[in-house]
Amino acid sequence: MINFFNTYQSLLDHILVNMLLAASQYVVLRAGVFSLGSAGFAALGAYCTALLTTKLGWNPWLSVVVGMMLGTLVSALLALPLSRLRGVFQAVATLAFVQIVLSATQNWVALTNGPMGVNSIPHAAGTASLLLIVVAVVVFLVMMGRYSFGRALDVIREDETVAVSLGISVPYYHRIAFVLSGALAGLSGGLHAISSYSITPQDYGFGLLVAALAMVVLGGRTTVWGALVGALVLTSLPEVFRVFADYRAVVQGLLLMLVIIYLPRGLADTVIAHLKDRRLRRTAAPPVIAAPVGVLTAQTRSRS
Amino acid sequence: MSTTLVLENVTRHFGGVPAVDGVSLEVPAGQITGLIGPNGAGKTTVVNLITGILHLTQGRVLLDGQDVSKTEAPDLARAGVARTFQNIRLVPDASVLDNVLAGFHRHEKTGLWANLLGLPSARAEARQMRGGAMQLLERFGMTELAEHRAGALSYGHQRRIEMMRALASRPKVLLLDEPVAGMNDAEAESLAHIFRKVAADGVAVLLIEHNMRFVMSLCSRLYVLASGRLIAQGEPDAVGRDPVVVEAYLGA
Amino acid sequence: MLMQQLLNGIVVGSVYGLFALGFTLLFGVNHIMNMAHGSVFMWGAFAGLFAVLQFDAPIYVALLIGMLAGGAVSVLLDLVAFRPLRRRGGPEFSAIVSSIGADLVLISIAQKLSNTAVMRFPFDAFPVIFFSFMGMRVQLLQLVIMALVVIMVVGLVWYLYRTSFGLRIRSVAYAEQTSRLLGINPGPVNMQVFFISGALAGMAGVLIGLVFNSVHFAMGEPLLLRAFVIIIIGGLGSIPGALIAGMVIGIVQTLSVAYISSGVAEAIVFLALFVVIVLKPTGLFGQPTAAMRVQRA
Repeated sequence: MINFFNTYQSLLDHILVNMLLAASQYVVLRAGVFSLGSAGFAALGAYCTALLTTKLGWNPWLSVVVGMMLGTLVSALLALPLSRLRGVFQAVATLAFVQIVLSATQNWVALTNGPMGVNSIPHAAGTASLLLIVVAVVVFLVMMGRYSFGRALDVIREDETVAVSLGISVPYYHRIAFVLSGALAGLSGGLHAISSYSITPQDYGFGLLVAALAMVVLGGRTTVWGALVGALVLTSLPEVFRVFADYRAVVQGLLLMLVIIYLPRGLADTVIAHLKDRRLRRTAAPPVIAAPVGVLTAQTRSRS
Repeated sequence: MSTTLVLENVTRHFGGVPAVDGVSLEVPAGQITGLIGPNGAGKTTVVNLITGILHLTQGRVLLDGQDVSKTEAPDLARAGVARTFQNIRLVPDASVLDNVLAGFHRHEKTGLWANLLGLPSARAEARQMRGGAMQLLERFGMTELAEHRAGALSYGHQRRIEMMRALASRPKVLLLDEPVAGMNDAEAESLAHIFRKVAADGVAVLLIEHNMRFVMSLCSRLYVLASGRLIAQGEPDAVGRDPVVVEAYLGA
Repeated sequence: MLMQQLLNGIVVGSVYGLFALGFTLLFGVNHIMNMAHGSVFMWGAFAGLFAVLQFDAPIYVALLIGMLAGGAVSVLLDLVAFRPLRRRGGPEFSAIVSSIGADLVLISIAQKLSNTAVMRFPFDAFPVIFFSFMGMRVQLLQLVIMALVVIMVVGLVWYLYRTSFGLRIRSVAYAEQTSRLLGINPGPVNMQVFFISGALAGMAGVLIGLVFNSVHFAMGEPLLLRAFVIIIIGGLGSIPGALIAGMVIGIVQTLSVAYISSGVAEAIVFLALFVVIVLKPTGLFGQPTAAMRVQRA
């Protein structure tokens, strides 16, 4: 199903690149934007990077930056029409986008070499550089998520009507989430290109779309850690348990169903919430809040 | 006292059926005005009409003398109209403090990047908001719970968090949609105490309830809604004795 | 030539419409988008093919088996992927994710069973008879398909509007809480709806398998996306809308394949989907959809 890797890439590289993809999916879902388009932006980033390096001989890292910018640009353009949609319509529209990109990469043979893919991409990204980038991105996302930006996203996700009643501009935040998601996915795709020697259109099809969603559903879609944990688990599972590699799709499908029904917040988010509760319960356990006695008696006196 | 919020002959039809019909009321600043009525009377529809969730079929809504009948919800919120909701929608995994801080949003002046880069202006504003939030927590008696996960707390606590969030936006008008539903008398009374203080600070409070007893001691003026129409209005004691009102509640 | 392609398009489109009908029925009653509906379609085709290949069944039996299989898979989907969420009151997001997961499982099982092969109905499964009409070659198959679609739609309308079962279905669709209060148990109603929509999908699967002479594990995905285009153009919950829009899509697709290429035809369908969702989420016939932006309603 997913042929995201070829046998030359080490597991850690896979995990790191997938973490960025999962982060891209997390950002939109945290804001309540039901976008499944990360795979499409990853394709744009990857192909842009691959073609610039192989056909024009550009520096690989510069190509990645351009690939990321392409992802950002396209997501910015799409954000305008898509931010008017909600729920399943957003999901299907982004799904259509992924399919359109897939069609383009498969059929525009003159540009993309079609189903044969782009080969002999210089392997410029070592594990160290990938790790550095992921850490930088995580720090950035944690900062964004912790303060007013993250709070606004959370309120919008919980209930848009409440967000509006607090004066939060929903379209503005939706658009930012969308653009950020496109940037992260574009980066993920570009890095994938320069760390795996070759890419094919199928690498960024429905399989990748589902993988990105599964990672965030499994790990959790309201914290960055959820995306990281989900990427880690889902990428390494087929390696650790060889049998799962064959049945990858079935396992992913079952995981999606089981997790969303029985552990809807995802592994990491559930654990984090649990830890928060336990840690605070150990501090002063607050008594039931009752009204100050003086006020109560004053009221009862006035009523009788 | 100026009349901050005025409804003039407000009507809303749903497919020909009037859910709200010719409602006129005034919510002055510094007082608590009650809108009561049996279930299904149309009280929440009135709130939705005021806050920009529904179009008015007829009539006007005036905020500080300005016609806001066609103003969209986000702009109304920014103009200082705050509300609480019948079903509490907090962010369950966020702390009490974070939930309350969300209410300060409309007053934030520093932008996204200033916050990200940790610029002094952003940090100063964050400190100010945090201070304001802690003050609210003090007022509501929840300072020790500041870092608790909102979803882990009791219903009573959650109601208070929602209230603090609405107050954080320093509104001109506060619409309380059944704020003490499901509470015992003691808890309801402590909230009533806070409502009085909020009104005393100059906010125009509209309290929507169907629990008559609760609103009696709290409101300066009552409006009674039944089947979308106002059937009585005036001093709470007088309204409470009005046979039309009694009939509406018993017959409902 | 053009008339021929139009005819082909209408026939294929009517089957798409049938499939979309089942899909929109589910949404109308349960307010969920079953992302696994394409796999129900595919499994119907698999079951019909199996009946023919293993048991030499005549085509009408295969059709019946396809319908039953589609219905069964659909009901299974409800029990495993949707019902647990309904019980817990999960948000819309959860239902969609759950159905995507179920879709994956159904597809991979089919992939394993079929060994990723593209299978075909035997050449003599359906009598190859042509008629000449106004310069066009009309296959008996095409006539039978049209007849079946008409029968199914009439049957569905009759069931929904003239029987007590149908009344219960419409009642639950309109107001589930109130129906419950009136003693209508939504459980069996949901099951019926899932079965009916699955049966329609299963039949569509066998028919499409015959028309395009191919049955394979991935045949459901493109159908699902077409169904989205169809119900958005035709309007959510609208029966005539689903059929008319289905034929439109069938025509557009057939013409694109005939005059451009099949690869581009796919891209055109996806592009149409994207444009249609962005421009007209309420469709031409249907009612307004679920929560959009918060603004004065």
